[in-house]
Amino acid sequence: MKKNIEFHNNHVFYFEDDLEQRILSPLSCIKEHESKWVLEFDLPLVDKKDISVFVDSGIITVEAKLKETYCDEHRKSCQYEYFKKSLTVPSNVDSDKISAKFVNGRLTVVLPKITRGTKIKIED
Amino acid sequence: MTAKKQPNRILLLGFPGNGLIGTFTISYLISHLQMKLIGDINHPDLPPTLFVENGEILSPIRIYRKDDIYAIISDIPIFPEVAYEFVSSVAEFCRKNKIRKVIVPSGVDTQSTDSKDAKTYGLATDPSLEKIMYENDMPKFLAGSIIGTDATVISIFRNYGIPLLMLYTSCHPFFPDPQASVFAITSLAKVLQIQVDTKDIQKRIDYLRIQHRNLMQETLDVLQQEKQPQTKVPPIYR
Repeated sequence: MKKNIEFHNNHVFYFEDDLEQRILSPLSCIKEHESKWVLEFDLPLVDKKDISVFVDSGIITVEAKLKETYCDEHRKSCQYEYFKKSLTVPSNVDSDKISAKFVNGRLTVVLPKITRGTKIKIED
Repeated sequence: MTAKKQPNRILLLGFPGNGLIGTFTISYLISHLQMKLIGDINHPDLPPTLFVENGEILSPIRIYRKDDIYAIISDIPIFPEVAYEFVSSVAEFCRKNKIRKVIVPSGVDTQSTDSKDAKTYGLATDPSLEKIMYENDMPKFLAGSIIGTDATVISIFRNYGIPLLMLYTSCHPFFPDPQASVFAITSLAKVLQIQVDTKDIQKRIDYLRIQHRNLMQETLDVLQQEKQPQTKVPPIYR
Protein backbone atom coordinates (compact mmCIF):
# COMPACT_ATOMS: atom_id res chain seq x y z
CA MET A 1 0.00 0.00 0.00
CA LYS A 2 2.88 2.36 0.70
CA LYS A 3 3.49 3.34 -2.88
CA ASN A 4 -0.05 4.52 -3.40
CA ILE A 5 0.09 6.45 -0.18
CA GLU A 6 3.24 8.24 -1.28
CA PHE A 7 1.55 9.21 -4.50
CA HIS A 8 -1.11 11.01 -2.55
CA ASN A 9 1.31 12.68 -0.26
CA ASN A 10 2.84 14.29 -3.30
CA HIS A 11 -0.54 15.72 -4.30
CA VAL A 12 -1.90 16.43 -0.87
CA PHE A 13 -3.22 19.87 -1.77
CA TYR A 14 -5.15 18.76 -4.85
CA PHE A 15 -8.41 18.90 -2.89
CA GLU A 16 -7.64 22.25 -1.33
CA ASP A 17 -7.08 20.70 2.08
CA ASP A 18 -6.54 23.51 4.54
CA LEU A 19 -3.47 22.58 6.54
CA GLU A 20 -3.54 25.76 8.60
CA GLN A 21 -7.13 25.12 9.75
CA ARG A 22 -6.54 21.34 9.75
CA ILE A 23 -9.43 20.77 7.36
CA LEU A 24 -9.61 17.98 4.78
CA SER A 25 -11.85 18.25 1.74
CA PRO A 26 -13.89 15.04 1.37
CA LEU A 27 -14.70 13.30 -1.91
CA SER A 28 -18.28 13.79 -3.05
CA CYS A 29 -20.48 12.75 -5.94
CA ILE A 30 -23.98 13.59 -7.14
CA LYS A 31 -26.47 11.50 -9.09
CA GLU A 32 -29.65 12.76 -10.71
CA HIS A 33 -32.83 10.70 -10.54
CA GLU A 34 -36.28 11.53 -11.93
CA SER A 35 -37.58 12.89 -8.63
CA LYS A 36 -34.42 13.73 -6.69
CA TRP A 37 -30.73 14.39 -6.58
CA VAL A 38 -28.59 12.15 -4.38
CA LEU A 39 -25.44 13.72 -3.04
CA GLU A 40 -22.83 11.58 -1.30
CA PHE A 41 -19.83 12.54 0.82
CA ASP A 42 -17.10 10.09 1.79
CA LEU A 43 -16.45 10.73 5.49
CA PRO A 44 -14.22 7.99 6.91
CA LEU A 45 -12.92 8.30 10.47
CA VAL A 46 -16.09 10.17 11.48
CA ASP A 47 -18.96 9.46 13.93
CA LYS A 48 -22.53 10.41 12.98
CA LYS A 49 -22.86 12.70 16.04
CA ASP A 50 -19.95 14.82 14.83
CA ILE A 51 -21.46 15.67 11.44
CA SER A 52 -23.27 18.94 10.66
CA VAL A 53 -25.12 19.62 7.43
CA PHE A 54 -26.33 23.13 6.56
CA VAL A 55 -28.24 24.48 3.58
CA ASP A 56 -28.21 28.23 3.09
CA SER A 57 -28.74 30.41 0.01
CA GLY A 58 -28.46 27.47 -2.35
CA ILE A 59 -25.23 26.18 -0.80
CA ILE A 60 -24.97 22.91 1.11
CA THR A 61 -22.14 22.65 3.61
CA VAL A 62 -20.98 19.49 5.36
CA GLU A 63 -18.68 19.69 8.36
CA ALA A 64 -17.43 16.76 10.42
CA LYS A 65 -14.94 16.31 13.20
CA LEU A 66 -12.59 13.35 12.83
CA LYS A 67 -12.58 10.69 15.55
CA GLU A 68 -8.83 11.12 15.79
CA THR A 69 -6.25 13.42 14.25
CA TYR A 70 -5.42 12.31 10.74
CA CYS A 71 -1.70 12.43 10.31
CA ASP A 72 0.00 12.25 6.95
CA GLU A 73 2.07 9.06 7.07
CA HIS A 74 5.22 10.58 5.61
CA ARG A 75 4.78 14.19 6.64
CA LYS A 76 4.01 14.07 10.32
CA SER A 77 3.62 17.84 10.47
CA CYS A 78 0.50 17.58 8.25
CA GLN A 79 -2.27 16.90 10.73
CA TYR A 80 -6.00 17.25 10.18
CA GLU A 81 -8.97 17.39 12.54
CA TYR A 82 -12.00 18.07 10.30
CA PHE A 83 -13.71 17.46 6.99
CA LYS A 84 -15.46 20.40 5.36
CA LYS A 85 -16.96 20.96 1.93
CA SER A 86 -19.53 23.33 0.41
CA LEU A 87 -21.36 22.68 -2.84
CA THR A 88 -24.02 24.51 -4.84
CA VAL A 89 -27.43 22.88 -4.56
CA PRO A 90 -29.22 22.30 -7.92
CA SER A 91 -31.83 25.01 -8.58
CA ASN A 92 -34.93 22.80 -8.63
CA VAL A 93 -34.56 21.36 -5.11
CA ASP A 94 -37.24 21.48 -2.41
CA SER A 95 -35.02 22.69 0.45
CA ASP A 96 -37.63 21.87 3.13
CA LYS A 97 -37.59 18.19 2.26
CA ILE A 98 -33.85 17.52 2.19
CA SER A 99 -32.90 14.46 4.24
CA ALA A 100 -29.63 12.74 5.11
CA LYS A 101 -28.32 9.45 6.44
CA PHE A 102 -24.89 8.21 7.43
CA VAL A 103 -23.85 4.59 6.81
CA ASN A 104 -20.36 3.06 6.72
CA GLY A 105 -18.68 6.44 6.75
CA ARG A 106 -20.69 7.74 3.80
CA LEU A 107 -23.14 10.60 4.14
CA THR A 108 -26.03 10.42 1.69
CA VAL A 109 -28.09 13.58 1.23
CA VAL A 110 -31.35 13.26 -0.69
CA LEU A 111 -32.48 16.47 -2.40
CA PRO A 112 -36.06 16.07 -3.69
CA LYS A 113 -36.91 18.01 -6.84
CA ILE A 114 -39.75 20.52 -6.93
CA THR A 115 -42.49 19.58 -9.36
CA ARG A 116 -43.30 22.78 -11.19
CA GLY A 117 -45.55 23.88 -14.01
CA THR A 118 -49.14 23.91 -15.13
CA LYS A 119 -51.01 20.64 -15.20
CA ILE A 120 -52.02 19.71 -18.74
CA LYS A 121 -55.33 17.96 -19.17
CA ILE A 122 -55.22 14.81 -21.28
CA GLU A 123 -58.13 14.96 -23.68
CA ASP A 124 -60.51 12.06 -24.28
CA MET B 1 11.53 -39.40 -23.33
CA THR B 2 9.59 -37.13 -20.99
CA ALA B 3 8.09 -33.81 -21.93
CA LYS B 4 9.61 -30.85 -20.13
CA LYS B 5 7.09 -29.33 -17.74
CA GLN B 6 6.10 -25.83 -18.81
CA PRO B 7 6.05 -23.21 -16.07
CA ASN B 8 2.56 -22.16 -15.04
CA ARG B 9 3.22 -18.45 -14.95
CA ILE B 10 0.52 -16.00 -13.92
CA LEU B 11 0.34 -12.24 -14.29
CA LEU B 12 -1.70 -10.12 -11.88
CA LEU B 13 -2.55 -6.72 -13.32
CA GLY B 14 -3.89 -3.80 -11.28
CA PHE B 15 -4.62 -0.21 -12.25
CA PRO B 16 -6.91 2.51 -10.88
CA GLY B 17 -10.61 2.09 -11.69
CA ASN B 18 -13.94 1.78 -9.83
CA GLY B 19 -13.32 2.04 -6.08
CA LEU B 20 -9.57 1.66 -6.77
CA ILE B 21 -10.11 -2.08 -6.33
CA GLY B 22 -7.36 -3.08 -8.77
CA THR B 23 -4.76 -0.84 -7.17
CA PHE B 24 -5.58 -1.81 -3.58
CA THR B 25 -5.73 -5.53 -4.38
CA ILE B 26 -2.51 -5.86 -6.35
CA SER B 27 -0.64 -3.50 -4.06
CA TYR B 28 -1.63 -5.65 -1.09
CA LEU B 29 -0.63 -8.89 -2.84
CA ILE B 30 2.77 -7.46 -3.83
CA SER B 31 3.42 -6.50 -0.24
CA HIS B 32 1.97 -9.69 1.25
CA LEU B 33 3.90 -12.01 -1.07
CA GLN B 34 7.03 -9.87 -0.74
CA MET B 35 7.38 -9.71 -4.49
CA LYS B 36 10.59 -8.30 -5.97
CA LEU B 37 10.63 -5.25 -8.24
CA ILE B 38 12.01 -6.35 -11.60
CA GLY B 39 11.18 -3.48 -13.96
CA ASP B 40 8.86 -0.70 -14.98
CA ILE B 41 6.78 0.50 -17.92
CA ASN B 42 7.19 3.97 -19.38
CA HIS B 43 5.40 5.88 -22.10
CA PRO B 44 6.15 9.38 -23.46
CA ASP B 45 2.48 10.37 -23.12
CA LEU B 46 2.25 9.45 -19.44
CA PRO B 47 2.43 12.38 -17.02
CA PRO B 48 6.01 12.81 -15.78
CA THR B 49 5.66 11.30 -12.31
CA LEU B 50 8.14 9.47 -10.13
CA PHE B 51 7.92 8.35 -6.52
CA VAL B 52 10.74 8.21 -4.01
CA GLU B 53 10.53 5.61 -1.28
CA ASN B 54 13.36 5.24 1.21
CA GLY B 55 15.57 7.08 -1.27
CA GLU B 56 14.69 4.69 -4.11
CA ILE B 57 13.25 6.20 -7.31
CA LEU B 58 10.16 4.33 -8.51
CA SER B 59 8.16 4.61 -11.72
CA PRO B 60 4.39 4.79 -11.43
CA ILE B 61 3.92 1.57 -13.44
CA ARG B 62 6.05 -1.23 -12.08
CA ILE B 63 6.62 -4.95 -12.63
CA TYR B 64 7.13 -7.36 -9.74
CA ARG B 65 7.84 -11.07 -9.56
CA LYS B 66 7.95 -13.91 -7.11
CA ASP B 67 8.51 -17.40 -8.49
CA ASP B 68 5.85 -17.96 -11.16
CA ILE B 69 3.70 -15.00 -10.15
CA TYR B 70 4.26 -11.68 -11.90
CA ALA B 71 2.45 -8.48 -10.98
CA ILE B 72 2.11 -5.20 -12.81
CA ILE B 73 0.71 -2.26 -10.88
CA SER B 74 -0.06 1.27 -11.95
CA ASP B 75 -0.27 4.02 -9.36
CA ILE B 76 -1.59 6.47 -11.95
CA PRO B 77 -4.79 6.23 -14.02
CA ILE B 78 -4.31 4.82 -17.52
CA PHE B 79 -5.26 7.60 -19.91
CA PRO B 80 -7.38 6.55 -22.91
CA GLU B 81 -4.66 7.82 -25.27
CA VAL B 82 -2.13 5.31 -23.93
CA ALA B 83 -4.42 2.44 -22.92
CA TYR B 84 -4.03 0.47 -26.16
CA GLU B 85 -0.24 0.73 -26.23
CA PHE B 86 0.03 0.05 -22.50
CA VAL B 87 -2.06 -3.11 -22.63
CA SER B 88 -0.37 -4.28 -25.85
CA SER B 89 3.02 -3.90 -24.17
CA VAL B 90 1.75 -5.96 -21.24
CA ALA B 91 0.52 -8.66 -23.65
CA GLU B 92 3.94 -8.67 -25.38
CA PHE B 93 5.56 -9.00 -21.96
CA CYS B 94 3.36 -12.04 -21.30
CA ARG B 95 4.36 -13.66 -24.59
CA LYS B 96 8.04 -13.02 -24.02
CA ASN B 97 7.91 -14.44 -20.49
CA LYS B 98 5.66 -17.39 -21.35
CA ILE B 99 2.93 -16.22 -19.00
CA ARG B 100 -0.02 -18.60 -19.33
CA LYS B 101 -2.80 -16.61 -17.71
CA VAL B 102 -3.64 -13.10 -16.60
CA ILE B 103 -5.88 -12.11 -13.70
CA VAL B 104 -7.20 -8.57 -13.34
CA PRO B 105 -9.11 -7.50 -10.20
CA SER B 106 -11.46 -4.61 -10.81
CA GLY B 107 -14.62 -3.02 -9.39
CA VAL B 108 -18.26 -2.95 -10.43
CA ASP B 109 -20.96 -0.56 -9.25
CA THR B 110 -23.78 -2.45 -7.57
CA GLN B 111 -25.46 0.50 -5.82
CA SER B 112 -25.54 -1.49 -2.60
CA THR B 113 -24.08 0.24 0.45
CA ASP B 114 -24.05 -2.91 2.53
CA SER B 115 -20.70 -4.68 2.62
CA LYS B 116 -22.57 -7.92 3.43
CA ASP B 117 -23.75 -7.86 -0.19
CA ALA B 118 -20.15 -7.85 -1.47
CA LYS B 119 -19.61 -10.27 -4.30
CA THR B 120 -16.92 -11.01 -6.87
CA TYR B 121 -18.08 -11.78 -10.39
CA GLY B 122 -15.83 -13.50 -12.89
CA LEU B 123 -15.47 -12.89 -16.60
CA ALA B 124 -13.11 -15.29 -18.38
CA THR B 125 -11.89 -15.48 -21.96
CA ASP B 126 -10.95 -19.13 -21.60
CA PRO B 127 -12.84 -22.24 -20.40
CA SER B 128 -10.03 -23.27 -18.03
CA LEU B 129 -10.32 -19.97 -16.18
CA GLU B 130 -14.09 -20.15 -16.20
CA LYS B 131 -13.76 -23.53 -14.48
CA ILE B 132 -11.54 -21.94 -11.78
CA MET B 133 -14.18 -19.26 -11.34
CA TYR B 134 -16.94 -21.76 -10.71
CA GLU B 135 -14.75 -23.92 -8.46
CA ASN B 136 -14.36 -20.86 -6.26
CA ASP B 137 -18.11 -20.10 -6.20
CA MET B 138 -17.74 -16.95 -8.24
CA PRO B 139 -20.80 -16.08 -10.29
CA LYS B 140 -20.29 -15.16 -13.92
CA PHE B 141 -20.55 -11.53 -14.97
CA LEU B 142 -23.56 -12.10 -17.19
CA ALA B 143 -24.48 -8.73 -18.69
CA GLY B 144 -23.46 -5.12 -18.50
CA SER B 145 -21.26 -2.65 -20.31
CA ILE B 146 -17.51 -2.49 -19.83
CA ILE B 147 -15.72 0.69 -20.81
CA GLY B 148 -12.26 2.18 -20.48
CA THR B 149 -9.05 0.32 -19.78
CA ASP B 150 -10.94 -2.81 -18.67
CA ALA B 151 -12.47 -3.08 -22.14
CA THR B 152 -9.06 -2.55 -23.76
CA VAL B 153 -7.55 -5.28 -21.55
CA ILE B 154 -10.25 -7.80 -22.48
CA SER B 155 -10.05 -7.05 -26.22
CA ILE B 156 -6.27 -7.19 -26.46
CA PHE B 157 -5.72 -10.32 -24.38
CA ARG B 158 -8.48 -12.06 -26.32
CA ASN B 159 -6.79 -11.08 -29.58
CA TYR B 160 -3.41 -12.29 -28.32
CA GLY B 161 -4.97 -15.59 -27.22
CA ILE B 162 -3.71 -15.16 -23.67
CA PRO B 163 -6.30 -16.51 -21.18
CA LEU B 164 -7.68 -13.70 -19.03
CA LEU B 165 -9.84 -13.70 -15.93
CA MET B 166 -11.43 -10.41 -14.87
CA LEU B 167 -12.55 -10.40 -11.23
CA TYR B 168 -15.21 -7.74 -10.69
CA THR B 169 -15.92 -7.01 -7.03
CA SER B 170 -18.95 -4.93 -6.11
CA CYS B 171 -17.89 -1.56 -4.75
CA HIS B 172 -18.62 2.13 -4.53
CA PRO B 173 -17.48 3.37 -7.95
CA PHE B 174 -16.68 6.96 -7.02
CA PHE B 175 -15.00 6.61 -3.64
CA PRO B 176 -11.92 4.54 -2.68
CA ASP B 177 -13.33 1.28 -1.35
CA PRO B 178 -10.68 -0.65 0.61
CA GLN B 179 -13.48 -2.59 2.37
CA ALA B 180 -14.55 -4.06 -0.97
CA SER B 181 -10.87 -4.61 -1.76
CA VAL B 182 -10.60 -6.94 1.23
CA PHE B 183 -13.25 -9.08 -0.47
CA ALA B 184 -11.39 -8.79 -3.79
CA ILE B 185 -8.10 -9.83 -2.15
CA THR B 186 -9.80 -12.86 -0.58
CA SER B 187 -11.35 -13.84 -3.93
CA LEU B 188 -8.03 -13.50 -5.74
CA ALA B 189 -6.27 -15.50 -3.00
CA LYS B 190 -8.77 -18.34 -3.53
CA VAL B 191 -8.03 -18.37 -7.26
CA LEU B 192 -4.28 -18.34 -6.62
CA GLN B 193 -4.68 -20.93 -3.84
CA ILE B 194 -2.68 -18.85 -1.38
CA GLN B 195 -3.37 -17.80 2.20
CA VAL B 196 -3.75 -14.10 2.93
CA ASP B 197 -4.17 -12.20 6.14
CA THR B 198 -6.19 -9.01 5.57
CA LYS B 199 -6.08 -7.79 9.18
CA ASP B 200 -3.58 -5.07 8.32
CA ILE B 201 -5.70 -3.54 5.57
CA GLN B 202 -8.87 -3.93 7.67
CA LYS B 203 -7.29 -1.87 10.46
CA ARG B 204 -6.35 0.89 8.05
CA ILE B 205 -9.53 1.16 5.99
CA ASP B 206 -10.49 4.66 7.12
CA TYR B 207 -6.97 5.95 6.62
CA LEU B 208 -6.71 4.37 3.17
CA ARG B 209 -9.96 6.09 2.16
CA ILE B 210 -8.56 9.47 3.14
CA GLN B 211 -5.13 8.85 1.65
CA HIS B 212 -6.48 7.77 -1.73
CA ARG B 213 -8.84 10.69 -2.38
CA ASN B 214 -6.54 12.25 -4.96
CA LEU B 215 -5.96 9.08 -6.96
CA MET B 216 -9.71 8.42 -6.96
CA GLN B 217 -10.46 11.92 -8.23
CA GLU B 218 -7.77 11.69 -10.92
CA THR B 219 -9.14 8.30 -11.96
CA LEU B 220 -12.66 9.69 -12.25
CA ASP B 221 -11.34 12.60 -14.34
CA VAL B 222 -9.74 10.09 -16.71
CA LEU B 223 -12.82 7.87 -16.82
CA GLN B 224 -14.92 10.89 -17.79
CA GLN B 225 -12.65 11.38 -20.79
CA GLU B 226 -13.62 7.94 -22.04
CA LYS B 227 -16.18 7.97 -24.79
CA GLN B 228 -19.53 6.69 -23.64
CA PRO B 229 -20.88 3.74 -25.61
CA GLN B 230 -23.51 4.54 -28.21
CA THR B 231 -26.01 2.13 -26.74
CA LYS B 232 -26.60 1.55 -23.08
CA VAL B 233 -26.83 -2.07 -22.01
CA PRO B 234 -29.02 -2.41 -18.91
CA PRO B 235 -26.63 -2.77 -15.97
CA ILE B 236 -28.19 -5.76 -14.24
CA TYR B 237 -25.89 -5.55 -11.24
CA ARG B 238 -27.25 -2.20 -10.17
